[in-house]
Amino acid sequence: MSYGSIVKVPFGPQHPALKEPEHFLFEIDGEIIVNVKPRIGYNHRGIEKAFERRTYIQNIYLAERICGICSDAHTTCYTQAIEDLLGLDAPPRARYIRVIVAELERIHSHSLWLGIAVHEIGFDTFFMYLWRDREAVMDILELISGNRVHYAMNTIGGVRRDITPEIIPKIIRSLDFLEKRTKYYMKALRSERTVLKRTVDVGVLKPKDAVELCAVGPTLRASGVKNDVRGDDPYAAYDEIPFNIVTDDGCDVFSRMLVRCGEILESINMIRYALDHMPSGMLRVRMPMAVKPGEAVSRVEAPRGELIHYVKSNGSTRPERYKVRSPTLANIPALCRMFIGQHVADIPIILAGIDPCFACMDRLVFIDVKTNKRKSLDFESFSEMVRKQRNFRLA
Amino acid sequence: MRREDRIVTKLREKLKEKIITINVPRERRIFIHIKPDALRESIKFLRDIGFRHISTITGVDTGDSIELIYHLALDGSIELSLKLKVQKDDHKVPTITDIIPGVVLYEREVHEMFGVNFEGHPDLSPLILPEGWPRNIYPLRKKYTLEHLRNSIFKEEDEK
Amino acid sequence: MAIIAEAIKWLLKHPVTIKYPFEREAPPKGFRGRPVWDMHRCIGCGLCSRICPSGAIEIIGRGQEAKIKHYVDRCLFCGQCSESCPRNAIKLMNDFEHARYNRDVMIYEYKRET
Repeated sequence: MSYGSIVKVPFGPQHPALKEPEHFLFEIDGEIIVNVKPRIGYNHRGIEKAFERRTYIQNIYLAERICGICSDAHTTCYTQAIEDLLGLDAPPRARYIRVIVAELERIHSHSLWLGIAVHEIGFDTFFMYLWRDREAVMDILELISGNRVHYAMNTIGGVRRDITPEIIPKIIRSLDFLEKRTKYYMKALRSERTVLKRTVDVGVLKPKDAVELCAVGPTLRASGVKNDVRGDDPYAAYDEIPFNIVTDDGCDVFSRMLVRCGEILESINMIRYALDHMPSGMLRVRMPMAVKPGEAVSRVEAPRGELIHYVKSNGSTRPERYKVRSPTLANIPALCRMFIGQHVADIPIILAGIDPCFACMDRLVFIDVKTNKRKSLDFESFSEMVRKQRNFRLA
Repeated sequence: MRREDRIVTKLREKLKEKIITINVPRERRIFIHIKPDALRESIKFLRDIGFRHISTITGVDTGDSIELIYHLALDGSIELSLKLKVQKDDHKVPTITDIIPGVVLYEREVHEMFGVNFEGHPDLSPLILPEGWPRNIYPLRKKYTLEHLRNSIFKEEDEK
Repeated sequence: MAIIAEAIKWLLKHPVTIKYPFEREAPPKGFRGRPVWDMHRCIGCGLCSRICPSGAIEIIGRGQEAKIKHYVDRCLFCGQCSESCPRNAIKLMNDFEHARYNRDVMIYEYKRET
C-alpha cells in the first residue's frame, strides 16, 4: 500500500559504542523503505596515508589499530603481504599459532555480534548471556597474547609469542564450555518465538544479488553461496586443517545468525585440531633489512568476511602505497539492497545483520517533505515508537 | 597446466596487443597491465569467465599518472589485479558499475581520493570526505602531504 | 518453564562480575603493561625510540648519559621496544591503571644513577 508521499529519514551517523559510525538516508513510503543512500567516512582517519610515513615494523601496529575487533585479521593480512614481497615463509608452528588466534578472534567477534543482534531485537537476557560467555574467549586471548583486544601476535616472518604447554589445558577447558553454550544458544535461537518473529524473512538478500553486489563473509554464505577465503585461497595453516564452510539457504537475518553460530562451532573444532597437530620448531624467521621494489596482494577471511590488503614498495624503508579494504565496505551495497521493501522497525536488525560495527543511534531527524517540518527523536522515544509499531504489526 | 596459466592464455587470445605485461608471481595471484581503452572489454570478458567478484579498486599515484588496480576474484580463489594507467587531469575512465554493480562504492572512493572521474557512474557525490572539503584536493595523491593539507585547509579554518 | 529453572540455577551461583576498585584480578602471566627501563643495562643506543610505532619514547643524549622519557599517554603497549632492545633492558610491568587527569604527570623519566 502506498501513501503517496516519500519521507526522508536520516539514520546515524552516531553509533559510538562500536567501530563504524555510518549515516543512512532512508526514503520511506508509509512504513516501507523505498530507497537508501549510505554516507560513510565519519571514522576516516587517513590510515592509508599514515602507512606511507611509517616503517614496515611500525606499520604492523598501525594495521592492528584499523579495527579493534578484527585486529588479528588485519595484522595477519599485513604481515602476509610483506612476507609475499620479501619472499619469506612463516615457519609451520607460527602458521598454526596464527590460525589458533584468528579462530579465537572469530569466536569472540561472532559471539559479540550475536549479542548485538539479539539486543537490537530487544532480547537483552540473551545479550547478557552471550557477553558473559564471551569473556571465556577473551581470557584465553589475554593469556596467549598479553592483551584482551590488541593481541600484537603477528610480526613479519612469524609470530611473537608461543602457545606454551601449560596454557593448552585452559584453552581446551574454555573451548568445551563455549561449545556447550553455543549449542544451547543455537537451540534457543531455533525455538525462541521472539527471535523467529523478528528475523525470519527479514532483510532478504537473494544469492544472485549477493554475488552481483560482491557481498563477502557470513552475509554471502547466509545467502547460500559457498565462498570462504580460508578454503578458496588458503593462507597460514588453513590448507592443513580440515573444516567445513558453513552456509545456509535462508538468505535472511535468521540464517546469518545460524551461519555465525555454525562458524563458532567450526572454529572450536579447528582450534582443537590445531592444538593437537601443532608442529614444534621456531616461531619466526628474521626479516631482511631491505624490502625490494614490488607489489603484493594479500587476502584473509576476517570474522566479517574477505579482507584485502595491497602493498606497493619502492625499495625504501617505508611502503609507497598501502591499500586496505575492510569487509564492511564490501557489504554496504548488499545492505542497501536488503533494506528495500522492509519496514522502518526492522532497520536496526538488518543493519546489524551484516555485522557492521553498529551500536547506538542517539538522535534521528524526521523531515516531512510536504511541510518541511523537522521532528527530532532521541533513542528512547524512537525505540518506543518502534515497539508500538511492532506490536501493531504482530497483532 | 595450472589454472593461472589457462586464464593467462585465454586473456592473451582475447585481448592480444592491448596487454602490456602479465605477471604471475605466485599461486593464485595474477597481475595484468592493460591499455586504458581496453578496460570495459576486459572486465566484461573476465566476468564471463567467472571473475564475478570485485574486491576493491586501488589507486596509486605514480608521479605523472594514476594507476588504477582492479582486484577481481575468481569464485573466491584466484586474485587477479587488472592495472591501467590514466593521466592525472585529462582522462576518460568508463565506469564498470553496469557490468559489476558491486563496484559502485569503490569507484566513488577512488574518485574522492585521487580525482579520477568515472564516466557514466550514477552518483559521484561525497562518500568519505566531509562536506565543505575543498574541490581539487585529493588527499591520497603524493602532492598533498600532511603538511600541505594542514597549511591549505586547516589554516583557513583556524583563521575563521 | 525453562526460564524458571534457568533463573533458579543462576540465582544460586556467584555473580560473574567482580566489584572492581575493591576487588581486583591479577593480570595473567605475560601481560603487556607499562615498559620500564633498567638503566644499568641500557647503553643509550636509541633503538627503542626509533622503532616505537607511536613515538612514545624520547631519548635525550646518547650512551651512558642518555636520558629516556616515556610518554605513557601515547604508548600502545605493544612491547616492540622490549623486543627490539639489544640489551634486554626493557621489561613490561603488570600495572595497567595509567589514566590521570593531567597529561604532564603521565611521563616517566629514566636516568642512570651514578
